[in-house]
Amino acid sequence: MDDNSTPSGDRKLSCSDVSKCFQLLESILDGENMPNSKEMLNEKLAKCEPCFKHFHLEQAIRDVLKTKCTKQAVPSELEASIREIIQDKK
Amino acid sequence: MSEVQRKKYSEQEKSKIFDQEFMPNIDSMYNFAYRLTFDEDDAKDLVQDTYLKAFRFINSFEQGTNAKAWLFRILKNSFINDYRKKSKQPAKIDYQEVETYYNSDDVDYTSTTDLRVDAVKDMLGDEISNALNSLAVDFRTVIILCDLEGFTYEEMAKILDIPIGTVRSRLHRARNLLKDKLRSYASTMGYSTDEEE
Ligand SMILES: [Zn+2]
Repeated sequence: MDDNSTPSGDRKLSCSDVSKCFQLLESILDGENMPNSKEMLNEKLAKCEPCFKHFHLEQAIRDVLKTKCTKQAVPSELEASIREIIQDKK
Repeated sequence: MSEVQRKKYSEQEKSKIFDQEFMPNIDSMYNFAYRLTFDEDDAKDLVQDTYLKAFRFINSFEQGTNAKAWLFRILKNSFINDYRKKSKQPAKIDYQEVETYYNSDDVDYTSTTDLRVDAVKDMLGDEISNALNSLAVDFRTVIILCDLEGFTYEEMAKILDIPIGTVRSRLHRARNLLKDKLRSYASTMGYSTDEEE
């Protein structure tokens, strides 16, 4: 899926501001609209190894949650019983 | 939330809102209720209560606003106020206790996990679900709202009645706890969790 998950030698190995960076990355992954987020993201991913790793791990966690979590089927009679009670109360 | 007195909906308008805006969310509502209670009957009761309240207070729903977020807020309040009070099973972690301990918005972002992306991608649905279900209800809730239901931070803040900063920090903590669980699964699966550095 993402072919850029191999570490590159060009990235620095320690992040200058982990708190700020990680918070930004997480907000972007959560779909929050930040000004210039795309540019900042590309810059972080290209230049900072901890940011790169954190981003891909966080992205993987969100992906598996979204796609693999077991879903429960709604009991078939639930909607009808709700409507019935409301009808009775009218 | 401000209870602004709006014009009353006609019976016809009420039915339309209920059918077109409320009912289509029953699937998400039931899954949220089930993930809070882990019990089919309790989840059904919770969803039913929520819809009855939604209908009763339909005049305070503003058309054009997010019905799903409005319904989720009612469900979450019903869970805390009604269900958890009458629930006989001892709460594993007390809600207030969690609030007191974790309400600080200061988060330590430096603690990193050695969980590997490949290990996460190979996780089974049951393992992901179990890991999520093992989290305390406050942490489980933010992950459900954000990752499974796609609510924004702002919507989550309204649903949970907490500031956006708390949403963000609670989410971060929740995911860290989730990563710890997943890492312990990964190590039993035979994945090396050592860093190669
Ligand atoms: Zn960085």
